[in-house]
Order: sequence, then structure tokens, then C-alpha cells
Amino acid sequence: MLQTSNYSLVLFLQFLLLFYDLFVNSFSELLRTAPAVQLVLFIIQDIAILFNVIIIFLMFFNTFVFQAGLVNLLFHKFKGTILLSAAYLALSISFHIWIMNLRWRDSSRFIWTEGLQTLFVFQRLAAVLYCYFYKRTAVHLGDPLFYQDSLWLRKEFAHFRG
Amino acid sequence: MGKKQVCPPRALPPVPSFCSADDIPLSRPKKRKPKGKTPLDDIVQATVRRQSESSEPLTPEPQDVPPQRKRKKKKVPPDSETSFTQQNTASLFQNGNGVDVPEAEETVVRKQRKRTKKARPAETHSSNELEVEEDDIIEDEHRRSPDQQPVFAAPTGISQPVSKVFVEKNRRFQAADRAELIKTTENINVLLDVKSSWTTRDVALSVHRSFRVIGLFTHGFLAGYAVWNIVVIYILAGNQLTTVSNLLQQYKMLAYPAQSLFYLLLSISTVSAFDRIDLAKASVALRGFLTLDPAALASFLYFTALILSLSQQMTCDRINLYTPPSENGSIWTAGMEEEILQPWIVVNLVVSILVGASWIFLSYRPELDHSEELMFHTEIEEFPQDEREMLKSQ
Repeated sequence: MLQTSNYSLVLFLQFLLLFYDLFVNSFSELLRTAPAVQLVLFIIQDIAILFNVIIIFLMFFNTFVFQAGLVNLLFHKFKGTILLSAAYLALSISFHIWIMNLRWRDSSRFIWTEGLQTLFVFQRLAAVLYCYFYKRTAVHLGDPLFYQDSLWLRKEFAHFRG
Repeated sequence: MGKKQVCPPRALPPVPSFCSADDIPLSRPKKRKPKGKTPLDDIVQATVRRQSESSEPLTPEPQDVPPQRKRKKKKVPPDSETSFTQQNTASLFQNGNGVDVPEAEETVVRKQRKRTKKARPAETHSSNELEVEEDDIIEDEHRRSPDQQPVFAAPTGISQPVSKVFVEKNRRFQAADRAELIKTTENINVLLDVKSSWTTRDVALSVHRSFRVIGLFTHGFLAGYAVWNIVVIYILAGNQLTTVSNLLQQYKMLAYPAQSLFYLLLSISTVSAFDRIDLAKASVALRGFLTLDPAALASFLYFTALILSLSQQMTCDRINLYTPPSENGSIWTAGMEEEILQPWIVVNLVVSILVGASWIFLSYRPELDHSEELMFHTEIEEFPQDEREMLKSQ
């Protein structure tokens, strides 16, 4: 059974990383005059997304559902979060590489093209969706149903076996 | 203990010797148990002790005395300050008067009380153990009158509650104040009770509700900020966009910070609105859209506003890098300003309207939250009554 204090700590860490992600997405453009600082922020942001993905998987492994062998059920239930996290990480890394590559020599240069603008919009939209799905999953995993035997789980088990 | 030191090796009368011998072994298992002894050891020791005790009063053998002394010295309980003097006096009375039946009876009664105390649950026992029991204190009334006391008895102190208790810390017994220890034990118990009643579901719910409150504040703030932004733009642009260059000169410092703040507030608002309709459950979200649910409408409007706002990033950067077209290296060309700014102003106006409308929709029913209902209540409702009761008890 998941301890309340442990869950609170993990939830706090997840929200901290989410907030950092949101903060960098919002205000990183204001730091364009210092490309090195911006690069460090971007690297930390990507690592934060990766950490968040690792944490959510560790939370999955900790559930009774997973330990009972119903991995498929868990992944089916949270496939939106898993797919979006992966997509967002890929979009973020591509956008960061692209924009840093263009701005590294001259940070005050106008660099925007149609392609970059499109990638920017998709990356930022994915960030919002990722934030929503991730937050929902993290909160949802606090439900004690995932950490104990229940009728719901037995039904699901029977459903998957049948 | 004292008896062995004072007594000469002679046969003692059966009754008092039995009582005084019984006095020590009864307290032994209580003190030795927490030291990690196995039940088997206790049984073996008890058997050995019984044998030695049964033979002791009848035929005290001189060669048996030293090992018994050793064992007794080892097994004196650390908190037996109150019982020590009593045993001492009891043995002294026996020495002086030979037989002292009432004292022995009193000891037996006290032992029975202690036995009943042991039967209590462990959690209450730990805190009560530290308190001073009235039975443990021998008052002056219970003491013997001077004529009953032996002539050569050593002066015995009155049993009193000691303010210090000895607590094992880091494999050493350290003195601690009794009153403080009782307080801390009680506090820990209270904290444990509070923590055990606070489940992960409660944590998740409280976090969810906190975010909803933050979202509610953000909706209002965003609506106000959007209105302020569009008013500033229209004022700086002048009537029929006659002072576009003035707008660019004044607004270029504000363009990026305003865009960043817009993104931050729009993100939080959109996530909060998605939470309200529980977007992850597609069927519920679709039903919300079809039935024109205010939360569903607000989510759609916020998402549209977000896309529109993000699409203006290029123009914002252009405004941020504005230098008059006459200057060298300017990215602005003469006559193009109005052409670029016109759609940007319109998009900003649309974003402001969308954000304002969403705020009105959501603040119309601020308590509406499908996410909370669906996430934490539906699955439990599917369970039968006994299952629900089992969950509640846990």
C-alpha cells in the first residue's frame, strides 16, 4: 500500500518539475540575449520531462494492478499520458536544437520561418496537453484502488483472461 | 537480593521464604522480553528457576549461592526503585521477626495488579507506563510502626516518584524527564492518528481542489489582463491605426513579456478548463460539447485562444526587434507596418473576447467539476455495498 507521505512527496516533485517546464516554456524567450543560460535551461527542461516520465513509470510499477500482472490494463488506462509525454519530449528536444542552432551565433537575429513557427506552436500545444494529462494521471494514481485487491480489479482480470 | 546478603545460611520457614522468592521471578519475564529473547529461552529459564526456587527454601546449599547472586544482580529491573526498598524491608522484617505473613499477602496482591496491567493493549501501555501509579508509592500509613521494625534494620527510604526515567538511546540508557517524555509520546500518538486518517486519495483530492482554486483565480486574471492588453494596443495605435509607429516604439518593450505572460496564464486556464470537463474521457467530453456544457465551451474557447496567441509569436518577435525602417539592418520596411500589425491587433482582440467569454462561462458555475466526480467516485459506485464499506474502513 502506498504511504501518504511518500505519495505527497512524489506528487510535490512531479508538480515542481511540471511547473519548471511551464516556467521555461513561458519565459525562456526573455533570456534570448544569453544563449548559454537558455541552453542550460533547455537541457534541464528536457531532463525534467524525462524524470517525470521515469517517475510516472515507477508509480505504475508500484501499483497492485501492475504487480498482479495487468500491465496492459494500466497502459491502456494511461496511454494518453504515455504517448503525449513521449511526443512532447521529442518535440521539445527538436525545437530546442533548432532554435539554439539558429540563435547561438547571433541572439538578436530574426530567425523565424514558417517551419519553426509551426514546430513552436505544436511544441507549446503539446506542453499544455502533456501538463493536463500528466497532472491527471499523477492525481489519479493516488486512488487506493490501484494499490489493493478489489472487485473492480477482479472483473478486469476476468475480462482480460476471457 | 538483599535477603541473600543478610541471611545466614540456615533453613527458613516455608511461607515467608516462598513469598520473597516468588517476588523476584515474577518480575523477570516482563523485563527480559523486550530484549529480544525467544519464547523458548523464557520457557527454559522459567523451568530452571522453578527448580532452583523449589529446592532453595528447603535445603539451602552453600555452593548454589554465588551463581544465584550473580543472576539476581543481572536481572534487577532498571525502574525498580520503588520495589527495591520494599523487598529490602520485607526481608529485614523476616530477619527480625521470623514470620511476617501480612506483608507477604500484600506483595501477592500487588503482583496480581501488575499482572492485570500487563494485559492491556500495547499502545496504551507505553504511555501509561511512564506515569506514576499510586500503588507504586508506599505512603507513611502503610509503613510499620516503630515497635514492629527490627532493631538492626538499615534505614529505608520512602518510595517516591522519580522525575527522571531512563530511556535507551543509541544503545545507552540516558536520563530523560518523565513529564516531557509523556508529552512527546502523547504528541506522537496524536500525529500518528491524524496521519493514518489522511489517505492518498485525500492528498490527491486536496491537490486537485487547490489547482481548481488556482485555475479560478487565473481565469479572472487572464480575462482582465487580456482586456487591459487590447485597450493599451488600441490606445497606442490611435484612431484607424494612424499612429502605428508610436505603437511599435512603445510596445516593443512590452511585446515579449506580454506574450510570455499570456502563454503562462492561458496554459493554466486551459488545463483548468480541461479538468472541469475531464477531457481524457472522450465520451464525456463529447457529450459536454454537444449539450453545450459551459465547461466544455470554455475549454474549446481557451484552446482556440491558445492556438491564436501562439501563432502570433513570429509577429511578436518582429515587434520586439523593431527599429525604424530608415535605420540600417531593420527588418521592417516602410509601408509594411500597418499590413503586419492589422492582423496581429485583430487576433489580440479575438483572443481577448474568447478569454473573456470563457471566464464568464466558467464563473457562471464555479463549482462544476466533472473530473472530480468521474475520477474519484464512479469506480467506487460500481462496487457493491460491502466492497465500499471495506474501502471506507481502510
